[in-house]
Amino acid sequence: MSAPGPAITVVLRAYPRGWRERYGAEMSALLAERQPGWRDLLDLARGAIDARLHRLVITPAVLVAAIPRREFAMPAAPRPTYGIVSAPPIGELSRRTFMRRMLGVGAGILALEFLGGTLAFLWPQIRSGLGGKFSVGTLADIVTSQASFANGWPYAVGAARSFLINVPAAKELALGHDVSIPSPAPDQLLALYRKCPHLGCQVPGLCDELKRFTCRCHGSTYNILGEKLKEGPAQRGMDRFAVTVERNGVVVIDTSQYSTGLLDRGDPQYLAFVDAAPYDRKCR
Amino acid sequence: MPNDGPSDLGRFAEPALLILVSLADGPKHGYAIMTDVDALGASPIGPGTLYAALARLERRGLIEPLGPEDRRRPYRLTAAGSRALAEHLGEMRRIVQVGHARLRTADG
Repeated sequence: MSAPGPAITVVLRAYPRGWRERYGAEMSALLAERQPGWRDLLDLARGAIDARLHRLVITPAVLVAAIPRREFAMPAAPRPTYGIVSAPPIGELSRRTFMRRMLGVGAGILALEFLGGTLAFLWPQIRSGLGGKFSVGTLADIVTSQASFANGWPYAVGAARSFLINVPAAKELALGHDVSIPSPAPDQLLALYRKCPHLGCQVPGLCDELKRFTCRCHGSTYNILGEKLKEGPAQRGMDRFAVTVERNGVVVIDTSQYSTGLLDRGDPQYLAFVDAAPYDRKCR
Repeated sequence: MPNDGPSDLGRFAEPALLILVSLADGPKHGYAIMTDVDALGASPIGPGTLYAALARLERRGLIEPLGPEDRRRPYRLTAAGSRALAEHLGEMRRIVQVGHARLRTADG
């Protein structure tokens, strides 16, 4: 099946001008002999792209005379004079050139703004505040500022909106034992996010009578490890931030990394830790 | 490694080689090259590819255009072109020989 003439013409026009001047005539002669098909059309289109991407045409001196050239040089038109001004006023810059350049500059600025805005939007926005890392100090510092941390009482870290939990001591505390574990292992530290997973109220501190957390808004109750108990509408336990202990012993809460609390399955047998109080009790 | 032969022309290496072979027995114009390549039994060259390869060969001085006949323009191999072709064919021959020899040893 042969390709239609107009399509061939269009594709040949896609070649750069220098190319057409040099090869145009012989290519059309070839195409006239060959009766090009669609495949040839495609091949020509690829050739046109290639010719636009690469500077391939050279014009040997021998050929210059032979090539039928169009005359491009236009006779210089007499310049109109506007009043006393005989040339574009500022240097050689005409109004048209100036407008075009300004259009280009404007488009460039717009593009830069767009690019800058995009980058700024994509840039990580959190460098401090929640979402960053918080150094809490060494375990010794924590115990110094709040001795009860060694006995399992949560250490509130205001900036990170978290309770730092000394897990082994906390378990003993919730079981009613009085022990002191001043330096738990790094993987025995837990950072509970104080935002209630129900509607986001701040969870108050541990209550004395049950050693549990009860949200004041709707009464969602969690054990000392933040697991959801029977009371309250929250669907899961308190969320947890990643806790690491650096080489120099400083405890760091990374609030950019968190895991959501375990789903409340309404059954104490799914809890990782069961404290001394009955399942359905909440702090007053 | 000669860097002015047809082998470093990327996807135009094969058409360029076929064009050089086609021009080896005398000047030909575009359409004659295409029919000649078809007759060689090689994969056919489209007009766009043909002229892209011709322009590259011309730029490297491996072929040169002659004066036009009607609107068609014949091309001929330059001295550098026949050298490059001979070199390339020699390289191919070595490869062919090695290939055959290895096939024989594999059979025996």
